[in-house]
Amino acid sequence: MYRSQQLALKYLTAAIALFGIMTIAGLMSAYYYINPNFLFGILNFNIAKILHIDTMIIWLLMGFMGAIYWFLPEEFGRDLVGIKLAEILFYVFCAAVAVVAVVFIVVQHGGSNEMALWFINQGRKYVEAPRWAAVGVVVVMAVFAYNVLGTAYATRKISGITAVLMIDLVPLLVLYLDAFPALSNMSADLFWWWWLVHLWVEATWEVLIGCIMAWTLMQLLGTSRRIVELWLYIEVALVLGTGILGLGHHYFWIGTPGYWLTIGGLFSALEPLPLLGMVIHAIYDAGTHHMKTTNRPAFYWMLAEAFGNFLGGGVWGFMFTLPQVNLYAHGTQWTVSHGHFAFWGAYACAVLSVMYLVIQKLRGLAQVDGRLWKWSFAALNIGVLGMVGALLVAGFAQAFVERAIGGSTHEAYLMGQANPWFVESMITRFIFGIMFAAGYVALVWDFLTIGKRRLVLAAAEAAE
Amino acid sequence: MTEIGLLQSALLLGLYVALAGGYGFAYTLARIHNAIALHRTSFVLYGLHGLTAIAIVVWTPLQIGWKGLIIASSVAFLAIPPVTWRFLQLTHETEVQG
Amino acid sequence: MHLDDPAFWRAGAISTVAVMSVALIMLTVNSLAAIRPGGSHVPHYTVINEHIDYKFDADRGEDVPVIGGSEPLFGKTVDAAQAKALIGKGKMVIQSRACIDCHTFFGNGAYYAPDLTKAWLDPGWKTWEAITGAKTKEEAMVRFLMFPEKYRISERRMPNLGLTRQEAEATVAYLKWMSAVDTNGFPPNFGHMQAKR
Repeated sequence: MYRSQQLALKYLTAAIALFGIMTIAGLMSAYYYINPNFLFGILNFNIAKILHIDTMIIWLLMGFMGAIYWFLPEEFGRDLVGIKLAEILFYVFCAAVAVVAVVFIVVQHGGSNEMALWFINQGRKYVEAPRWAAVGVVVVMAVFAYNVLGTAYATRKISGITAVLMIDLVPLLVLYLDAFPALSNMSADLFWWWWLVHLWVEATWEVLIGCIMAWTLMQLLGTSRRIVELWLYIEVALVLGTGILGLGHHYFWIGTPGYWLTIGGLFSALEPLPLLGMVIHAIYDAGTHHMKTTNRPAFYWMLAEAFGNFLGGGVWGFMFTLPQVNLYAHGTQWTVSHGHFAFWGAYACAVLSVMYLVIQKLRGLAQVDGRLWKWSFAALNIGVLGMVGALLVAGFAQAFVERAIGGSTHEAYLMGQANPWFVESMITRFIFGIMFAAGYVALVWDFLTIGKRRLVLAAAEAAE
Repeated sequence: MTEIGLLQSALLLGLYVALAGGYGFAYTLARIHNAIALHRTSFVLYGLHGLTAIAIVVWTPLQIGWKGLIIASSVAFLAIPPVTWRFLQLTHETEVQG
Repeated sequence: MHLDDPAFWRAGAISTVAVMSVALIMLTVNSLAAIRPGGSHVPHYTVINEHIDYKFDADRGEDVPVIGGSEPLFGKTVDAAQAKALIGKGKMVIQSRACIDCHTFFGNGAYYAPDLTKAWLDPGWKTWEAITGAKTKEEAMVRFLMFPEKYRISERRMPNLGLTRQEAEATVAYLKWMSAVDTNGFPPNFGHMQAKR
């Protein structure tokens, strides 16, 4: 195994551990809605939510890095340049995440001064981590980029997939610089913040996961490089072709000019089109292989990715992206429903697919299958569907009662929150969240044990 | 928009894309299994998608430009599965020959 | 046939990204001008010295901020530099206390607490003046922000975030300025509850 691949294993392990923290923080966040006295004054909703959303971002980033550290040495035919530095930074990264989390929990907030932003909490969504940690993230990502670009330079061997990845890393890193400013003007703050958030999750991350999926497909289904590269270029063209100006769907209501309603709405409405293509492609791949694969969980998580991306991003997104609807839906649980579904379908499923592929190689398994992965797959996906469905109902109730009827005031907000459909949805969401958590436990157990029984048996047979 | 109009519009828009997806799903399966029943299902699903598009045009308070976009997208959705399928075959067949 | 040549699609990807990126940059330049204080959509910070209202504009078909008449905050008129400092302080409070992780601003943030876009214009403050024993809206807001645990109005409570008087005033100034931003009609129907139901 390449040294880079050993680092990949560390990143993937850290990723799955953070997934667990994310789930616990998610359950907590959901519980506050049911019992508002929960930890009141000790650990308030905003801190639990910060932990939930920030660990989501980091577990996925670590998952991407793990996947890339795993695939690239085989792609380049050698270990990555600067891997020793990357190894040290892995531990620094994990330590930083731990310190940031502890400070969030114990200190929570400082005074309204620069010191608080540098050391405690920056208070901007997804990038709440204090500036010192943001500097750390920049360093980690810069070294990561160095590992990739440096090796490409050293070997002069740049495949199409690697070229796309390398080019994508530049905006990925540059966009993160928006994690630092504290602009007074909220309109300007959010304008640039959306460059970071949207052009990460609806642009550069899509390209990144496209590259990872390309390598995964080559290994999982034996698809040729030429085909995955061709389709990767098509995906990049379609996803970025719609997603770059689709950024405008975040510029309807933040104080920006009205032309964004037309531009953002139009390009956002086009975003589902490539996702439909991906579903068709996924079924084609599955069908032409007659659903046969040497790694069933990896394969099924890939299918979940294609469908989840289309449903969560495409269907759910389209429901409320047109400005006339969004005016009522914006900033409600409807958004939460879409966000959970889209992140799950577009990214989480793909990373889990890669993890199963890595385990197959790690344990030298000719065939990966079993019963536990199916329970985990069911619990996680049904958990997500249940949460997302409940949140959609809550969002509808909120848009209906608070916005359309109530007049969007504070009183209207309270009316919406007290609405029975809303209240019951919050309980339903929590219950499905528990199912999701159970699925996570099964997933971890499966990662630890899948194929091992066979290995033990094989070793026993060999010994006889 | 009235509150009922809001829910109607949102549900119709979601259904619109979901049915397009269903059509694509059924179409592709029909091609793989060469099954007439699946071909018919895909046809029905697209028909329902078309009806949803008409419902959006007739019953929602969207402006004319957006309704035009819905119709244009429906044409695109009709073409995407067969075009994608043919292109998948082309690229994979060339691969086999090459 | 060139359609099955990856180089064709690579060229397509590059040109698409290039064109869309250029378009985005051009629109960004235009938008940045509109959203700077004093631009077409965002008022100068000194708007906190004035009366702010939110009225339906028939031409645009949506509610728009209407600014006019002197209404100094806390009875003190501030100049441009003082207003900028006050707004800057208010934003630092909002960030340091992570308000956006319970509340929404222009609908962005978390949904556990109300949207604050038009909080300054909320008709409910009249009641708050009575509850907090304050003579003005801004005083009521300050008292609430400093001691939210004293004024519980629903099951869900706002925690005490240790705001000083100065911080609370700056936050109120921030909310007043924010309510004057032209958000293309968000949130909808503000203050107009549907009578029939």
